[in-house]
Amino acid sequence: MLAVIVSGLAIGAVYAATALAYNVMYSTSKVLSVTTGHLCMLGGVFGAWFIAGLGLPAGLGLLGAVLVGAAFGGITEVVGVRRVLARSDEHLWLLSTLALATMLQQAVGLWWGTEPKPFPRLIPQDFSAGLLDQKYWLPILTVLAMTAGLEAFYRLTLWGKLFQATSEDAFAARARGIPTDRVRSASYLLAGALGGLAGFAAGQLTFAFFALGLTLTLNGFIALAVGGLGSNLGALVGGAGLGLLSAFATYWFGGEYQQTIAVGLLMLVLLVRPEGLLGARRVRPV
Amino acid sequence: MAARAPRLGLALLVALALASLPYWSGDLYRLHLVSLIGAYWVLVAGLNLVVGFTGQLSIGHVGLLAVGAYGFAILAGTLGLPPLLALPLCGVLGGAAGLLLGLPSLRLPGFYFAMATMAFALIVTELSLAWGGLTGGGTGLSVPGFPAPFDTPSGQYWLILAVAAAVTALTWNVARLMWGRALVAVRDSEVAAASVGVNVFRVKLTVFVFSGVTAGLGGALFAALQTYITPDTFVFDIGLFFFVCIIIGGRGTILGPLIGTAALTALPELVAPLARLGTFFYGLALLVVVLLVPEGIGRLVAVLVARVSGEPHRSHEVRPDLARLRQALAPPDGTAADAAPAAPAPLAAQALR
Amino acid sequence: MRSPAWLRALGLCALALGAGSARAQEPIRIGWLSSLTGPLSSAAIAENQGVQFAVDEINRAGGIDGRRLELLTRDTAGEPTKAVNLAQQLLFSDKVQFIIGPVNSGESLATVPVVARANIPNIVIGTIDELIDPKKYPLAFRAINTNRQWIEGGNAYALDVLKRRKVAVIGDTSGYGTSSAKTAAALLEQAGVKPVYSVLVDANKTDLTDEMTKARASGADVVMPWTAATGLMARILNTRGNMGWDVPVVGHPAVMALPIRELLNKPEYWQNAFSAGYQSTTYVDGKLPPRTQALIDALKPALGGKIDFTFWWVALGYDTVKIIEHAVRTAGSTDPQKFKAVLESTRDFPGVYASYAWSPQDHNGFPDRNIVVDVANTFRDGCYDAAPR
Repeated sequence: MLAVIVSGLAIGAVYAATALAYNVMYSTSKVLSVTTGHLCMLGGVFGAWFIAGLGLPAGLGLLGAVLVGAAFGGITEVVGVRRVLARSDEHLWLLSTLALATMLQQAVGLWWGTEPKPFPRLIPQDFSAGLLDQKYWLPILTVLAMTAGLEAFYRLTLWGKLFQATSEDAFAARARGIPTDRVRSASYLLAGALGGLAGFAAGQLTFAFFALGLTLTLNGFIALAVGGLGSNLGALVGGAGLGLLSAFATYWFGGEYQQTIAVGLLMLVLLVRPEGLLGARRVRPV
Repeated sequence: MAARAPRLGLALLVALALASLPYWSGDLYRLHLVSLIGAYWVLVAGLNLVVGFTGQLSIGHVGLLAVGAYGFAILAGTLGLPPLLALPLCGVLGGAAGLLLGLPSLRLPGFYFAMATMAFALIVTELSLAWGGLTGGGTGLSVPGFPAPFDTPSGQYWLILAVAAAVTALTWNVARLMWGRALVAVRDSEVAAASVGVNVFRVKLTVFVFSGVTAGLGGALFAALQTYITPDTFVFDIGLFFFVCIIIGGRGTILGPLIGTAALTALPELVAPLARLGTFFYGLALLVVVLLVPEGIGRLVAVLVARVSGEPHRSHEVRPDLARLRQALAPPDGTAADAAPAAPAPLAAQALR
Repeated sequence: MRSPAWLRALGLCALALGAGSARAQEPIRIGWLSSLTGPLSSAAIAENQGVQFAVDEINRAGGIDGRRLELLTRDTAGEPTKAVNLAQQLLFSDKVQFIIGPVNSGESLATVPVVARANIPNIVIGTIDELIDPKKYPLAFRAINTNRQWIEGGNAYALDVLKRRKVAVIGDTSGYGTSSAKTAAALLEQAGVKPVYSVLVDANKTDLTDEMTKARASGADVVMPWTAATGLMARILNTRGNMGWDVPVVGHPAVMALPIRELLNKPEYWQNAFSAGYQSTTYVDGKLPPRTQALIDALKPALGGKIDFTFWWVALGYDTVKIIEHAVRTAGSTDPQKFKAVLESTRDFPGVYASYAWSPQDHNGFPDRNIVVDVANTFRDGCYDAAPR
């Protein structure tokens, strides 16, 4: 039973990290990017490639994975969001980020292969460590550190305050002289870096797998919607809840109904509390 | 009025060419390809009303395709019903699945809805694996063909052509009549549509269920054409493919998505390097269209044709008089003028801000 | 002793001699449906080496009765929809006379009826039992063993040699995995053993702790995985090793595929693993059967001096073309009905991969006696050591 809880929390941590990346991008642009899960996928694939393929030390591999994630976050902003936001058609960003996500996934599939490949060991530890294995606690610790870091960044730094101002009312922020476009760009870079970091930390759990992105985009979004859009604490709660639910569902019913149960949870929460468990009530758009 | 006669003539010519295709295609493979395009189109025509007219971005219609396909394989194969009876039943089944999916998810905002449809496609795959007794699990099911006179490749083609023509005529009528206007109103602004008395949710749900019916029919035809279906047949990429056909062809038109479906099905078959790129190519096409011509290539062609023939461009959309609007609201900076030719509605929004 | 240079010189001469007559006649067109990209590409790539080599070899020697072979390779990427489209293309647009493949059972299930309807001979290399039916698909002949033969080989080893009675069966959710797990369970029950644990997992699932823990808790004393996905197989071995569970693994040949080595946490996790294999690619006293050795020697230089994939795939690919050659030479034409008549009366046609025999009642050409059980971690030149009896 403890094994189910630990593995559920570990995979839930990856969902939560994806939900955090969603939040960071959403706060400054009001865009939910389909590429969010793919940021994590990049961290895992490039981390494995840097360390196992090129033989770099783990530290450099981490740096590389974070940079690749940030770079793709930046590309998402420049190609998929910036031009499209100027058009104010509420659906175009969904199409452009979907296109980017598809292209990235296929490109990685062609280059890296379509099989999940193992991620190298980061810290020397015997494989028989069981529940104390780093593949479980690395993602959990990382996502906790990410949440704490984000909260500190928002509250304690000037840039963080700019983010918050832009998030609360972009027009008012611009009127007060905040370069909201640059804040948005920075937020996408940050989200990319966070995604890359999370994907790297979870690599041993998820493997370096090209199709991971789409799964995380969906499950990270479910975690986000359940926890409450815009709330980082909600992302943690939603991620952990979804991870545990999936793990227990697999334990009791076998793996066959995993997705069905996850979506069932989403629908249930959205029907009862459309704003999510910890989210702020949205104003109807007119 | 004078322009109507040649247009009617052209339409007749195309209809004749399509009906006689088995006699001049000279190659069963090409006939198979056109039949496949036809089966896809039956689904895309219905989906086009959802995506192109009400603006609901469903990326998971492959789930409904699978429902129709498995429905046909089970009804006509396992249960032994006459295939021509099973076909309409698959439409009903698809409609029911559409209702099941639409009821909770159509109340959700755009991105939520897109994710719900994607999840639906994954759930259908999951269930088709889990319910092995019904669906054959991973081994799949063999699909019976249609009885004479539809048992030859040509016969099957004509059946698909007939269904596709009927579905096209239906969507054409919906798009042209009051309904179409209500749909476009919902797409462009739900709040505005609701304020003039359109029951937004009911409109969306009706159209979505209709798209479920066509997806069920399309799935049945697709399955008969494939002769064997497994869960691997209904990968998520196919759902994306349907969606891209519509966006590339042009939202809010009928002809655009039809051309999009035909082109995107045929291109990878005819140009080998594109086949290797596969879904990457669809993603790239989607990105290029979204960034450069968000109205789709079909609309671009329509505008060009209208310009060449000197005919004023007719459209089913209610559009602002741009020239006057632009004059009235001389742009405060350069950006509005740049966006003007491609995107009329946003210009107004931006200038009014 | 066959030296490659000697062979090449002979080939050149043959080419020069054969060129005149070959030009006079239409080439024989062979369609080859191969999933050269996609999830199960490793088998297809190796088989393609054999197919390509056989075609080149026959053409160098002047073709079949002066007719050159023209190979039309189509990449299905492992997708059934694509495979059906490409089969239609080969049949009706390219007008091939023979079709080899496709590689995966899921694709074959979709294409075999299509090829049968077009009345074109089909050399089947999928192992699922449903693919062969002399009444429904009169022109489909199987070169590879059936799934049942693999499973019977594995079961016999687990029950009779290792003396195990509590079996855990693991399959993947693909068409192949589902069908195999079902067949395995049925065959075990025929032998009077009911599996104590049976599960289907997604081939891309990364964490198998849950399944393996349950298998152990159910008291299993042998784990029998039936999946063609090497990644999944490696994860089963890794989980077994990480748990410190000393249980033998007996299963699908994927357990001895070379890529497994790169995927294991520790090399010793590959010990105590056995798989159904072939007499033709199994070392007896350090030696391979002469026909296998000859093909290895002929192919090695072209592959850069080393063979780093399972060799029976290459041998199978090579044999598919040789079977077509045998039928066309014997019949003296490419007529489908004559092809059928020749193969149905073929007894003990000596291939590299096996000696084949087909009959009007049975279009499975692979004989039971060619199946042996190998030790997984003994890969040398794509071949293996026999498991201790």
